[in-house]
Amino acid sequence: MDNFLHSIQSLNYTVAAVALPLLAALINFCMPVKSKAAGWISTIAILLSCILSAKVFATVWNHPQIHAQRIWFTIGQTQVYAGILLNNLSVLMLLLVSVIALPVHIYSTAYMKHDDRCSRYFTYLSFFCFSMLALVVIDSLVLFYAFWELVGFSSYLLIGFWFTKDKAVQANKKAFIMNRVGDIGLLSAIIILFAQFHTFDMDTIFAGKGLIAQAVIKNGLWAGPVSQIPAIWQYVACAGIFLAVAAKSAQFPLHTWLPDAMEGPTSVSALIHAATMVAAGVFLLGRVYPMFTEMELTILACIGCFTAFMAATIALTQNDLKRILAYSTISQLGFMILAMGVGAYASSLFHLATHAFFKCLLFLVAGIVIHQMQHIKDDNHLDIDPQDITHMGGLRKKLPVTFIAAVIGALALVGLPLTSGYLSKDGILIQAFEWSDGRNVWFKIIPVIALLTSWLTAFYVARLIFKVFFGEFRLLKTKPDVKLHLGDGNWPYTLPLILLAVCCLFPLFSFNPLSYERAWLFEGLRSSTHNTGESIYHSLVPISVNVISLLVLFTAYRIYAWESGFAFSQRGYFYRLSYNQWYIDNLYKRAIVNPVLRLGSACFWIDRTVVDGLLHLLARISGAIAKLAAWTDEYIVDGFLHLLAALVQSIGNFARKFQSGKVQYYLFSMLVIVLLLFILKILI
Amino acid sequence: MITLTDFLVVSVALFCIGLYMVVSKRNAIQILIGIELILNAAILNLVAFGKYDKVNNSGQIFALFAIVLAAATTAVALAIILNVYRRYKTIDPNEINKLKD
Repeated sequence: MDNFLHSIQSLNYTVAAVALPLLAALINFCMPVKSKAAGWISTIAILLSCILSAKVFATVWNHPQIHAQRIWFTIGQTQVYAGILLNNLSVLMLLLVSVIALPVHIYSTAYMKHDDRCSRYFTYLSFFCFSMLALVVIDSLVLFYAFWELVGFSSYLLIGFWFTKDKAVQANKKAFIMNRVGDIGLLSAIIILFAQFHTFDMDTIFAGKGLIAQAVIKNGLWAGPVSQIPAIWQYVACAGIFLAVAAKSAQFPLHTWLPDAMEGPTSVSALIHAATMVAAGVFLLGRVYPMFTEMELTILACIGCFTAFMAATIALTQNDLKRILAYSTISQLGFMILAMGVGAYASSLFHLATHAFFKCLLFLVAGIVIHQMQHIKDDNHLDIDPQDITHMGGLRKKLPVTFIAAVIGALALVGLPLTSGYLSKDGILIQAFEWSDGRNVWFKIIPVIALLTSWLTAFYVARLIFKVFFGEFRLLKTKPDVKLHLGDGNWPYTLPLILLAVCCLFPLFSFNPLSYERAWLFEGLRSSTHNTGESIYHSLVPISVNVISLLVLFTAYRIYAWESGFAFSQRGYFYRLSYNQWYIDNLYKRAIVNPVLRLGSACFWIDRTVVDGLLHLLARISGAIAKLAAWTDEYIVDGFLHLLAALVQSIGNFARKFQSGKVQYYLFSMLVIVLLLFILKILI
Repeated sequence: MITLTDFLVVSVALFCIGLYMVVSKRNAIQILIGIELILNAAILNLVAFGKYDKVNNSGQIFALFAIVLAAATTAVALAIILNVYRRYKTIDPNEINKLKD
């Protein structure tokens, strides 16, 4: 009974936590556009959501899952249920999303203070949080799809928030269209799953002993407990899910929207990169994880590994502060997908959680730096890009709090001991090595590349930090008369940084700073069958990662912070490959965008000349017919009537003449008629 | 010897002259004169055919009645003309066309 009451309470709390941001969005929507109270309404809503989520989390975590549903609608014999599913995965995401969103909201109140459409911004932001919170707790695939779309839609609104900037409009269009590609995948996967299992309920399908566990592929058929369909559909469904994950979580080949999405406000980037948008893809993968077969998981691992490596190499040479961070996000997401692929389910979600904190932190730091650069630009009327790290340098003395936060975030991203990143990332690497052990030697490539990627990560992060915070302020070298007054900003800027920086350290996740397997989050999510093997990798991998990472960091320090004059050649093939982001955007532009545009203009031409031409011809023909009809009406029909009228009139006039009132005339007429009668009588 | 035909010819001539006057004259008095001529043509006919009547001189007597009646009608007609003149200040029958539609 007590248990039952607890679950009812948790469900109510969950509904409230999800609905509060929506309420805030509605209130803000009704407020005037310039209202300054909007920020606080949204912040209070998310704060309450956060508290409620924490309560739900405390109740559900490591307890039996809570699942409540009711009939949504009935089609024929099929009853479609909708409800809330609270298990370890969903409450973790619920808490994570609201906890990450809270500092972002606080930060936004200061960051967006001077924007003219501040209230609209918070409307979108709250709506974004609502969509994501609802996405993580919903149990029906149909509603999941709906919220999935809403997440995409609200990110579209936020990326294009400064819609007067052409680049922002291009970026949000790109993000939306690439996400549509993934949405089609998800939709087709949902349709196939429904065709196979006759239900939309995720718990029934994907639970431990659910329908998908009972379905087997044999003899080219995918036989489930309800029905069987050709095995090809299982592959199509998995491909669809992968497409959806790739679009939302920015995996190769659908990753190119994420760097462009940097056109939105930086606080939005922080939210998109940390908890809401990109996490949705990994979360989806976590939800439908039992669906993937061994081979499909291997493909997943390959793609995740490739994405991680590619994004890390691109991040090495970018000069735009936010773009570096964007590629680092793609790289880290690649790690998560890789982890899913190698069966490190718990580590993947663990990394999602830790990554959310340090990436959010790094973006907020970037926001402050960009804000200060923007001030310098505006005060001195300079023509510089405020996001370009080649102008920055030496900011550690000017922005001490920001600097410390950035260093903590960066260390977590590199994955050095005592940070949360160490726990999650090394877990992934160790498990990737263990996974490759029992296989063909070629499978060793995957963990090795992942290892390489984490060293690359160390380098680009070091480059970022040293270029921005160490050395001299480079803008002063080129323009010595620039006046500077910089500062960390007041508490809405610093408080979120401090909060998130604390969350990036190990004690939040584990009391043992060196072993990921002791982390409570990992223990809560891993399957019971996971063997805590004591393989050699448990010591070898962390040591090699960290020692070489430290060497890389030191090298980067020598290069960038001392400004030793050493510079990498900027003409090499690899430099250009990396600087141009592996030419993937160019490839898409040539292979897809341009043909589509050409097709579009061809369609436009056909529409203009053939379709419109036909219509114009029709119009002209009917115009001519109408003119003919008008002529006929005027001259033939009307003419006939006029003729009749004229005839009648002339007869009338003729008859009128006899009524002249002249007596003699009457008399004469009478005489004539009488005479005529006589003559007729004589003649006949 | 004056035959019946001679009388009838004179009568027809009188009748036609009267008829012509009635139709063509622009003066009511002249029209009245025309009517009198037509009347006299008829009376002449009465007298001329009276020779063939069984009763003696009945034609002449009837003619006398007719002359008296003609005088009476002429008086009435003249009175009408007088009244018409008073009202319209003209006795041209063409001018008096108030009955026209």
